[in-house]
Amino acid sequence: MATLDDVVAWLRDLAGTMKEHAAELTELDSAIGDADHGTNMARGTAAVAALLDESYDDAAALLKKAGMTLVSTVGGASGPLYGTFFLRMAGPLAGKEQIEAADLGAALRAGVEGIQQRGKAEAGDKTMYDAWAPALEAYDEAVSGGQDVGGSLRAAAEAAAEGRDGTEPLVARKGRASYLGDRSAGHLDPGAASTTLLLESAARTLG
Amino acid sequence: MIGLVLVSHSRALAEAAVELAGQMVAGDDGPRTRIAAGLDDGSLGTDAAAVADAVADADSGDGVLVLLDLGSAVLSAEMALELVDPDVAARTRLTAAPVVEGLVAATVAASVGGDLAAVAREAEQGLLAKREHLSPDGAPDAEPADGSSDDGPASADARTEVEVTAPHGLHARPAALLVRTLAGHDARVRVRNLTSGRGPVDGSSLSAVATLDARRGHRLELTASGPDAARVLEAVDDLAQHQFGDRPPPPTTPPTARGSGLDVAIGPAVVVDTSVDVSDYRAGDPDAEQQRLDGALRAATDQIGALAETADQSATAAILDAHRALLADPALLEPTRAAITSGSSAPEAWTATADEVHRRFAELPDAYQRARADDVREVRDRVLAALVGRPGTEAPRPDAGGILVVGTLDAARAAGLDPSSVGGVVTRRGGTTGHGVLIAQARGIPLLADVGDVAIHDGDLLAFDARTHRLLVRPDDDQRAELEQLIEARRHEREQAEAAAGDPVVLGDGSAVHVVANVGAATDANGLRESGADGIGLVRTEVLFADLPELPSVEQQTAAFLDLAGAVDGPVTIRTWDVGADKPLPFLAIAPEDNPFLGARGLRVFRTGPEPLVQQLQAVCRAAREAPVRVMFPMVSRPDEVDWALARLAEAGDREGGVPPGLAVGAMVEVPAAALRVAEVARRLSFVSIGTNDLTQYVMAAGRGNEAVQDLLDPADPAVLRLVALVCDEVGPGVDVAVCGDAASRPEVAARLVALGVRELSVSPPAIPLVKAALRGQ
Repeated sequence: MATLDDVVAWLRDLAGTMKEHAAELTELDSAIGDADHGTNMARGTAAVAALLDESYDDAAALLKKAGMTLVSTVGGASGPLYGTFFLRMAGPLAGKEQIEAADLGAALRAGVEGIQQRGKAEAGDKTMYDAWAPALEAYDEAVSGGQDVGGSLRAAAEAAAEGRDGTEPLVARKGRASYLGDRSAGHLDPGAASTTLLLESAARTLG
Repeated sequence: MIGLVLVSHSRALAEAAVELAGQMVAGDDGPRTRIAAGLDDGSLGTDAAAVADAVADADSGDGVLVLLDLGSAVLSAEMALELVDPDVAARTRLTAAPVVEGLVAATVAASVGGDLAAVAREAEQGLLAKREHLSPDGAPDAEPADGSSDDGPASADARTEVEVTAPHGLHARPAALLVRTLAGHDARVRVRNLTSGRGPVDGSSLSAVATLDARRGHRLELTASGPDAARVLEAVDDLAQHQFGDRPPPPTTPPTARGSGLDVAIGPAVVVDTSVDVSDYRAGDPDAEQQRLDGALRAATDQIGALAETADQSATAAILDAHRALLADPALLEPTRAAITSGSSAPEAWTATADEVHRRFAELPDAYQRARADDVREVRDRVLAALVGRPGTEAPRPDAGGILVVGTLDAARAAGLDPSSVGGVVTRRGGTTGHGVLIAQARGIPLLADVGDVAIHDGDLLAFDARTHRLLVRPDDDQRAELEQLIEARRHEREQAEAAAGDPVVLGDGSAVHVVANVGAATDANGLRESGADGIGLVRTEVLFADLPELPSVEQQTAAFLDLAGAVDGPVTIRTWDVGADKPLPFLAIAPEDNPFLGARGLRVFRTGPEPLVQQLQAVCRAAREAPVRVMFPMVSRPDEVDWALARLAEAGDREGGVPPGLAVGAMVEVPAAALRVAEVARRLSFVSIGTNDLTQYVMAAGRGNEAVQDLLDPADPAVLRLVALVCDEVGPGVDVAVCGDAASRPEVAARLVALGVRELSVSPPAIPLVKAALRGQ
């Protein structure tokens, strides 16, 4: 079970995580993209962290605000993608003070569906969806197995990391990396990497 | 005007592109162009919220085209559409057009008044010229499109020079007509603007022709090569002599094949199920589905093309043109393709998109625009039929005398019927004013509308009389004999009426009744002399010029009025602009109103800005010097409004060297207040014309177009007729009373109006012989 305070903690942790890993993400992006993913994510999540001192009715309200903030501050494709993720996540959580594992599962699913709709990516396109898809599956499986929010998120983060590693041999079919064609193979996808970081952060804070 | 938004990662890039595009248009003529580029801190990136703001800012109500560079620009722009007002989003389109070329082409297309589809099309074709130019295998256009070409007379087979006679220069419509004319010939034509020095450009490209900046009075040089070189230039000369089509075409084409017009039919039922069964459809992978969709769209376009070839009336052709445009409309195609990409089958994706577009049209407040929903549904079914391999949605052609039974009659099917062969049409629903019904009636096909879910089987003998709304399924011998007699009687009646149509109607007391025509589109005037019209009693100027993108000039209006005067031997009554929030025009926009029938409408519209009215009155003054033209003002309630209108006429006269002395001036009586005070209203006028459609809705407090109260909308209601009698009795000596509503077209009502003292009936052209016959019978 998680609360508004836990979500605040998550988003604060996320800002720190992105700052810490900014150089690493940008380096991944410099191999196959435009070398700004780390900077972009650090800037966007820092802007979200600046919202956390205000008060919110519920987690849904905060997540919405965070989504809009990411849209306007990230700059790259991850802006609308993560922005949509948080905006859509808010839907199933509206009015809930206590977020159960199943609620969060529904929220994650809604968020990921938003990402897929926005980016029109499929599994194997070498995008963040390659981390999200196995993570969602693992999360749901853990919930069915009786795991709580923390345990389910840990399972999701592990699956995301595997998904991220699985993007290495892939040839990108979406985004800036797709301009590189075959040369995009042999590198991790930066979006899948930031997704893994996001889920690891959630597992640390929402559990 | 369509607004433009440029979404880019880089503000510098966007600003430079906008500057470049701005050079294509003079001064403030360009579209509202907004930039959403870069982040607030100056770094590269895109911001969906900023895109949403830019879209809202660029929108003037006509629509917005969004051009975007790459990556997140696309995602941010798509997201922006979810953030703006849904109404604005509905008229906003994202285009895959190249940023620089697309922006230049879109700027030109928008500045000449193109609609969203036209502007988007131009933007998307922005790469064509460059691609052709650079194509290695010497494509036909592999030569410079700028002034550096030496493709002059030396290499051309023919050459001509024309003056740009279109009143507003070669803006989108005349330019499109020029391009279409050239495309119909086997010749390559290059066009140079001799006056401005621009060009030469390829005459087959609308964007390229638009870059010539050909204003009225400019001289164009056209050089042609190829087998049709001489002929194509003759066609261009002809076009120039007709203002490049920028005025209503002269009424020359007489109506051709016509049905019986008897409103009664007997024959075997041919029942058509227009729904398309897609349950056996086996979807392939997205690529295969996209290909099937393309094939179906091509097939549907071909079918409509074939129907248009044989269309015998320009109104029909115009509707088929609209269907063809829908088949290429990105608003239908883009969401369909996106859904297919996400895994939908072609029929699912197409149906969902078409239904959504249909819903949007069906919710529009304007009845005319709502009718576009029917067009969408017809196009939907046609494409679905093609997808499942059915040859078309055409009915099995009824044999001679067969009666088609359909759910609703769509325009394409109505156009495809052979009026000399089909016995009649029965519709189950859809009302009496849909496109298809109007087309069938205009072609004289007997039609019974809205019979509901009566059980009718293929081959059942049917008989109906539309005038009494009577339907007989499997009539017995007596009923059948009765209907056959009715047909005989009607035929005899019609023949007599037509034979005598040219004769005047003189009543027993020796007074004459003029039966004149209501005219909207210029083509309504076709064949008026043959039908016996004693003149034109109502020119709906707001319909006559409805398809122009901007206010027609005084010259243009004068010419159109004189064309109409040439189509009849009697007077022509021009009604000044009768617009309102219920029937706006592109160039006379009216803000939406809660209750448009009671709002700024007709004469009232011009109280705050009379210039369009004064200009129209100038055209009336000019035309009245050469032809028996009269003028009347719509939507008058009080006598002082007539005084105000007459002052505007005097103002127009001052600009034209005086109001012609014989000009007859009148007013519409459609507001009960004007009827009740008609003596005062008409004290400075020579005639009044009662608009029974509006008078009835105001007297009965029953809105036109509201199906729930249609039964109250009877122009022959005693209350309405009593007001007509009042007008006739009290109008004062020397003031003629006319009726120009639909009531006058009904022979039995016409006779009653004349009995009350009305001496001019303005009716729909096909009704003239019958109305005349009914009056003679009195």
